[in-house]
Amino acid sequence: MFKLDRKLTTIGMVLVAGVTFSVMTACAAESKDGAKESKKAAAETSNSATVGVYASKPGALDGGVTYPRENGIYTAYRYNTQSTKGVNPGRAATANEIKAWDLDALPDGSGLPEGEGSVELGDELYEAQCAVCHGEFGAGGSGYPQLSGGNMDKDENGVIITLKNQRVYGSTDAPKRTVGTYWPVATTLFTYIRDAMPYAHPKSLSNDETYAITAYILAQNEIEIDGEEMDDEYVLNKEKLAKVVLPNRDGFYPNIDGPNAIEDIRAFYADRAKNIGAGTRCMTDCKDPGGPDGKTPAAVMEIKYEMSDVTPPYAYDKTLPPKKKDENAHPGKEAYEANCVLCHKTDAMGAPAVGDKAAWDIVMKKGLDKVYHNTIHGINGMPAKGGTSLPDDKIKQMVDYMIEASK
Amino acid sequence: MNKTLETEELDSTSRREFFKTTASVGTIAATSMLVPNTVLADDENIMHHVKWGTTLGHEVNKFPYGMPPLYEHNVVRRTSPLMSSAGDMHAAISMTPLADLSGIIVPNGLHFTRTHNGVAQVDPNKFRLMIHGLVEKPIVLTLDELKRYPSESRILFMECPSNSAAEWKGPQFGSLQMAKGMMSCAEWTGVRLKTILDELGLKPEAKWMLAEGSDGSEMSRTVPVEKVLDDAMIVWGQNGEALRNEQGYPVRLMLPGWEANLCVKWLKRLEFGDKPWYAKEETSKYTALTASGKAIQHFYANEVNSVITYPCPERDWTDLKKGDVVEIEGLAWTGHGTIKGVDISFDGGKNWVEAQLKGLVLPKAWTRFSYMHKYDGKPMLLQSRSYDDSDNVQPTVNQEKAVVGVEGVYHRNAIMTWKITDMGKVSNVQVRS
Ligand code: HEC
Ligand code: HEC
Repeated sequence: MFKLDRKLTTIGMVLVAGVTFSVMTACAAESKDGAKESKKAAAETSNSATVGVYASKPGALDGGVTYPRENGIYTAYRYNTQSTKGVNPGRAATANEIKAWDLDALPDGSGLPEGEGSVELGDELYEAQCAVCHGEFGAGGSGYPQLSGGNMDKDENGVIITLKNQRVYGSTDAPKRTVGTYWPVATTLFTYIRDAMPYAHPKSLSNDETYAITAYILAQNEIEIDGEEMDDEYVLNKEKLAKVVLPNRDGFYPNIDGPNAIEDIRAFYADRAKNIGAGTRCMTDCKDPGGPDGKTPAAVMEIKYEMSDVTPPYAYDKTLPPKKKDENAHPGKEAYEANCVLCHKTDAMGAPAVGDKAAWDIVMKKGLDKVYHNTIHGINGMPAKGGTSLPDDKIKQMVDYMIEASK
Repeated sequence: MNKTLETEELDSTSRREFFKTTASVGTIAATSMLVPNTVLADDENIMHHVKWGTTLGHEVNKFPYGMPPLYEHNVVRRTSPLMSSAGDMHAAISMTPLADLSGIIVPNGLHFTRTHNGVAQVDPNKFRLMIHGLVEKPIVLTLDELKRYPSESRILFMECPSNSAAEWKGPQFGSLQMAKGMMSCAEWTGVRLKTILDELGLKPEAKWMLAEGSDGSEMSRTVPVEKVLDDAMIVWGQNGEALRNEQGYPVRLMLPGWEANLCVKWLKRLEFGDKPWYAKEETSKYTALTASGKAIQHFYANEVNSVITYPCPERDWTDLKKGDVVEIEGLAWTGHGTIKGVDISFDGGKNWVEAQLKGLVLPKAWTRFSYMHKYDGKPMLLQSRSYDDSDNVQPTVNQEKAVVGVEGVYHRNAIMTWKITDMGKVSNVQVRS
């Protein structure tokens, strides 16, 4: 879009300079009525400008603003202005504790542990512990991340060609993001596998084993170290891992390394229209062409294949949830609770209370058949079948439950 | 907590009767406004005593930890195997039911959740936080000790940078929840990292901070110290109570406005250094591959964004009649600062009107917008477009695509479109080339 429309390109820049409302008007000026509308709108907005305006300062690292923290006020919040000096909980970390937890490694290899492992051993370990999810040779296939494969050829600018694949026009392959085609540094592979894999048993691999598996995965990605191919006998260690330069090492921006990193990042996010995309506040008669030529008018695109495999399934009604069946419950329990519990919860109505062992001991002296009979035909305050018309078998089941629950 | 019938019982017969009644009343209510008074049927719910008015309710503390009404049991997070690794629900994401929420605070049980190695269950007694590296005084804290720092609270949104990642190439999900629900907003309480560092003495060479989680994936990320000193926090409170396990109990890092993955959960260690670490979640993942074949790394803030929450596919306009006046409502948010305003289009982005903001307008928090609309029964393409105090305007699909392409996965903030039919049905579409 920016390529296409000069006017909008300029507007994008005005935007960055920080004059939102003039942008809106300028954009709308394409149509006369629009200009009037927008000016009115702009005025209204400026009138209500006290809400949500917190003396912002531009130039934050992420391209946004920062807010002053002064005199007990930070944006909409108050804070305690008294000194926090001397609030000093906790204790000094011991050298051993730091050693135990500080296991990370930097791209230059610092922090990597001693140890070594061969591609051959890595192959064995990988087959046994990783292939089930990540596929033979790391080739993926089961839906878990693919660790190797993908074309690593580069164009004249050193960009991996397949990473430019865009699955939007025609049937292009997806860009593959494997260790060989996408990852920038190899130390990440070592620390990640050691700390987080195998998936269900993280931190179960020794340093030697981790070197071996890392070697195997690098070998599957046809990585060379110092010009040397990684054959089965190749043994990886700290020094060698630090020398690995992965094919896509330069495939990322903004620059985050070296003394200028922070300012490079700031400059990158300051130019958001160019670097990450930005909108324009056009109000009327807005045009929004795009497509491969940048000129195709926008049209409505509907869902082609709806992803409707959702858990729990979509449901929006305000009804009670379906009753959960308690698998282990006595088969007579539910019917007892629905039909008998009112009289049998306590002895207030002269009924033997369920759970009252002594009362049921007396009942049971009559013998089970008699008790069934009394329940089905009624006795004194006990109506026949408890006032229900359930089949005899069911009534007996409920009696069984009452006896069971009163032992 | 599970909303099941184990905790609240209605016997099956009375439940059936209840439905019979409500069903017939529902039909009456739907037509009643059209019919003159004389032929209106009397509403059973008014003419007869209701069940809960003629019986004793539950004892006051039947649920020592309160639960939503059972009738609300469909208001839950939802997930999809399509958004996980091979359908494995330990490396997956569950979405907030945005259509059912009011205001800007998401209840803790509905906060969206993304995990890389399952939801860790940390024993708070064994929790330790280590802060070391380029500081004068490396320390270890227990949870109680950490909480001795003076606390502050902030209402902040959290958004997974993969929010609507499935939709770069076109619309895919038929609901607001699945299309945009990888985000939530809550009040977070904790200590500003600057307060801690003032005591520990940050060395001037310190440019970066490694934040590491204690879960099975040892999730870690590199954060620039500039952000740490500006507004970063370590939080232990979520809407007034302890963080949920899903949100990193007992403690997570909070970087206001920045992608939620950077706000490391189950926090264990902060190390200060002079170089970035290149963790897995800032190299292999959470980098946005653009059409140039190169990828944006250290992608921090969630960009200016908005979505209309009513109407939406879940709560459509099929019950409206021509001439009804209805409030269009939505959420706007920006990780770059504070929402300044929101525009609404009824014709797929050709013409726009200004909506109004309502409620609290806070930095890096959800902001509600509202527009009163007279429904005319015509089909429309409804859109919202937000802008913020950092001069960001939400882009169209084409505008974003022109810079990023369609394989970026992360940080998608293009304008969304609800297509509304003449019957008031709402579906998720995109206006694009
Ligand atoms: C039960 C399945 C399973 C097994 C077994 C397994 N992994 Fe994984 N692996 C995963 C999942 C799931 C992820 C993605 C985790 C996430 O979402 O962060 C992953 C991620 C990875 C990644 C990062 C991939 C990327 O591109 O980001 C590497 C490398 C890896 N595993 C290596 C291994 C190794 C080596 C082993 C064997 C020691 C192993 N895995 C065993 C499931 C598994
Ligand atoms: C209206 C109250 C009421 C209901 C309803 C009721 N009972 Fe009873 N039940 C009684 C009373 C009162 C007795 C004690 C009778 C007596 O005096 O021996 C009793 C006694 C019993 C006994 C003991 C009989 C005996 O031989 O001593 C059983 C077994 C029993 N009921 C089962 C049931 C079952 C099963 C149901 C539900 C299908 C049920 N009751 C429903 C009031 C009730």
